[in-house]
Amino acid sequence: MKPLHIFLAIVLLALVPWLLDSQYVFHIATMIAIMVPMALGMNLMLRIGQLTMAMPAFMGIGAYGSALLAIRLEVPPLLALPAGALMAGVLAAAVGPVFLRIKGVYFVLLTYAFGQIINLVFQEWTGLFGGNNGLYGIPKFSLFGLRLTATPQYYLMGLLLAALVYLAVRAIERSDIGAIFQSLNENEMLSRAIGSNAMAWRIAAFTFSALAAGLSGGLYAFYIGFLSPDAFGFRLSVDLIVINAVGGVHSALGPVLGAILMVPLPEMLRDARQYQLLIYGLSLMVFLIFIRKGLASLIQRPRSAA
Amino acid sequence: MLEQILVNGLLASLIYVIMALGFTLIFGIMRIVNFAHGEFYMLGAMVVLFLFGALGWPFYLAVIAGGVVSALLGVVLERLLFRPLVGDELSGMIMSLAVGIILQSIALIAFGPAEQAMPRPFSGTWSLVGAAVPWDRTVVAICSLLILAVFYLFLKYSRLGLAMQAVAQDPQTASLMGIESGVVYAAAFGIACLLAGLAGGLMAPIYTVGPYMGELPMLKAFVVVILGGLGSLPGAVLGGLLIGLSESVLTTAFNSTAALIASFVIVLLVVITRPTGLLGRSTR
Repeated sequence: MKPLHIFLAIVLLALVPWLLDSQYVFHIATMIAIMVPMALGMNLMLRIGQLTMAMPAFMGIGAYGSALLAIRLEVPPLLALPAGALMAGVLAAAVGPVFLRIKGVYFVLLTYAFGQIINLVFQEWTGLFGGNNGLYGIPKFSLFGLRLTATPQYYLMGLLLAALVYLAVRAIERSDIGAIFQSLNENEMLSRAIGSNAMAWRIAAFTFSALAAGLSGGLYAFYIGFLSPDAFGFRLSVDLIVINAVGGVHSALGPVLGAILMVPLPEMLRDARQYQLLIYGLSLMVFLIFIRKGLASLIQRPRSAA
Repeated sequence: MLEQILVNGLLASLIYVIMALGFTLIFGIMRIVNFAHGEFYMLGAMVVLFLFGALGWPFYLAVIAGGVVSALLGVVLERLLFRPLVGDELSGMIMSLAVGIILQSIALIAFGPAEQAMPRPFSGTWSLVGAAVPWDRTVVAICSLLILAVFYLFLKYSRLGLAMQAVAQDPQTASLMGIESGVVYAAAFGIACLLAGLAGGLMAPIYTVGPYMGELPMLKAFVVVILGGLGSLPGAVLGGLLIGLSESVLTTAFNSTAALIASFVIVLLVVITRPTGLLGRSTR
């Protein structure tokens, strides 16, 4: 199949919930739409060769940030959502210059520790975040006085958000910036020698991924109406890796496909978490065995095919 | 009070050291960050739950069986799944994530999510410099010291142990000297899993046994190893003692979550300022 065909198929697939008109299908579709920006953010980081485990933390900051703005300060949701995402982005831009000097496995371990700290703060600071009992009372999203209460409305928002982030990644991919990102992964020395400011571009990618995760988090908070730290744990990082592994890392289409394939699993296997884990683990394993050279060979686009 | 904090810290740190040694051994030799390490701990505990708790085997025999089962599984998985990825750190790590998830899901399918307890083989306390020490923790501590001593003698004096050190130091020169890297990989992974299985088996009667029980010890081993230096065996011992003691102090002064936050902040700072840890080598 050509990418255009896949793209058209996805557009058609996005319309399916309205055809079936089932609450359940709308819910799953909304969860997919929420996951897509996160998966795309992870994709961008994989392209510059830095596997991040900080995505759940940034999603959590976006979610708790926008929820608390709406609850405590009664900020209109339309403003609270981007403000929450901005918090995640600002934090990423602030820690980026320090974090991104670290490469390889150490970067993974660093972002893992960072994610754990943020998550433990959500758990421990019960006065602000509600701890493990969760944060209740998040108002419904509203647009100019119109309160969004039905799932299809949130699905539409999710679609818009996913499309927005997808188009942004596509634009990056096709521009010179995409080539620079590619060069950062393949040969940073050469990339710097021909005049790219490698560190600045790394920070830009990291900040973008945090913004995308923050937007997902904000929408998640208003849609679900309840937040608990365990939604933003280590597992979510694994999910994002699985989605990118299954869908492919070459193009922006990959993570979108991966999300469509993998997100419905936990929803359908809600009462059988063990089988969901088994399928996730096996799909990762199959991916690693059949792509012999591992993740790196996928991130680096095969030169002959490019 | 202070004596009690120190004794608690020392008792906790011995198990951390055992877990961390295996974790760091695999990294030092295969360059794989083994996120599945906690699952081998869980496997050891499950075997003890079955053999000691259900079938009534002698406790020590059950613990050894737990270690052996865990080691055998480790050797098989190493050969089938990890060997092809040696040298590719990122893929090796993701493979370990996959293995961890699969082992956990198999445990969930076989045992269900409920935590299970077993009769305690030891009870009561004794007193050491004014601090109350439970007997069951004492047995764990003595066994841990014994395991550490055997492991040390193995590395220092056996041919295989020396070969493992050589590969960790410089794999190319080691292979030029005629050391079979495959044997060393299998041995390292097997021994690491043996240590994790023994640790899990020893701790099984003290806490409850369940599919998720490996997550916390894995997290601790991870923190200890980063602090001591990924791949450094003395670093794992030093890191284990430091983390065990500081955790005991922080848990008493605040609570266990605060202690966990503190340990991750340490990891963050260590990776940023000195990624090789306290005793790690800067080059390889």
